[in-house]
Amino acid sequence: MTIFALDCAGATAGAALLGDGVLLGESFTHVPLTHSQTLLSMAQELLENCRIQPNDIDIFAVTNGPGSFTGVRIGVAAIKGMADAAAKPCFAVSALEAAAYAHRHFDGVVCAVMDARRDQVYTACFQKGERLTEDKAMSLADLAESLKAFSLPVLLTGDGTQKAVEYLPSRLEQPCFAADEPLRFLRASSVACLAAKKLEAGESPVPAGSLLPMYLRLPQAERELNNKQKELQKKEQIK
Amino acid sequence: MQTFITQSYAQTVALGEKIGRTLKGGEVLAFFGGMGMGKTAFVTGVAKGMGIDCEVSSPTFAIVNVYGKNAELCHFDMYRVDSWEDLDSTGFFEYMDAGSVLCVEWSENIENALPKDAVRITIELGNTENERIIHIDGWEGKA
Repeated sequence: MTIFALDCAGATAGAALLGDGVLLGESFTHVPLTHSQTLLSMAQELLENCRIQPNDIDIFAVTNGPGSFTGVRIGVAAIKGMADAAAKPCFAVSALEAAAYAHRHFDGVVCAVMDARRDQVYTACFQKGERLTEDKAMSLADLAESLKAFSLPVLLTGDGTQKAVEYLPSRLEQPCFAADEPLRFLRASSVACLAAKKLEAGESPVPAGSLLPMYLRLPQAERELNNKQKELQKKEQIK
Repeated sequence: MQTFITQSYAQTVALGEKIGRTLKGGEVLAFFGGMGMGKTAFVTGVAKGMGIDCEVSSPTFAIVNVYGKNAELCHFDMYRVDSWEDLDSTGFFEYMDAGSVLCVEWSENIENALPKDAVRITIELGNTENERIIHIDGWEGKA
């Protein structure tokens, strides 16, 4: 069983190949605004280096969010195209779950945080690989409140780690620290492993056409984008 | 707020160039004012001032044109953007986070997404065909 995984939902981009549960190869970059240029060449090089043909791939996997709107679209579109051409099914994996995956043996709460701009993050908590909270968009202040409830040490991981570690530790009673650089960012190998786990658990992959991005609405989007819309709405209400 | 009066395309470009020279990256220049006001001329000057050798054209159809080797300058036209989803799909926030200078035409349409420290540039018609009255708010430099 060969699984090919891509991720570019956040600040980093990566591709990985998993053959019968063994990580055959992986690429990773952490350079902003380059995902659309690097992702496919990364994928091609990885396949060549691992001596794998696109037709040898049984399942495709991708992080479908939450994360950067553009990044999620690039990743999902790329995997849909590849899976459709190879006529093979896909798994969508939560970017937060994938970011937390490498830390599933940590004795405490693994808090995955993806930068959602300003003082907001996309976040979810896990313990020993089990999900504690759903993927949500919230402010760092609200995240601090929700972490207090666990009273366990907190390990931060994901591309929002730096932002979170500057804000959270002084506001929590329990220890709270950042994952080390090599394991701080989401890896495509984690996406591939999570796809393999889904398959083991009896979950069926979906056809490329059914794979969808998952966006979480930011609190700021509850406001009108421009004042014109606000005025129009007021007029509608008066009518 | 500073107000400038330019008498020609070349003077508008020159004013943009002066501002461009003071930019460090990450600034948002928000343009207000209708069509044919010289916003693209102004942005041409900004690019020049930033030392980017390029031909600036209106991003009306593309929505965003990106200039410079590492997207140092992003030129947006928000005329057709009217929802947060639209705005997200332009890459506006990603470019902002990456430290690009953003020049945003039709900023009226995304007023509530503009950062608080955005430099607001309003261009009005003057008394003659080529005269423009340019109000710049939030820019610390001197022209």
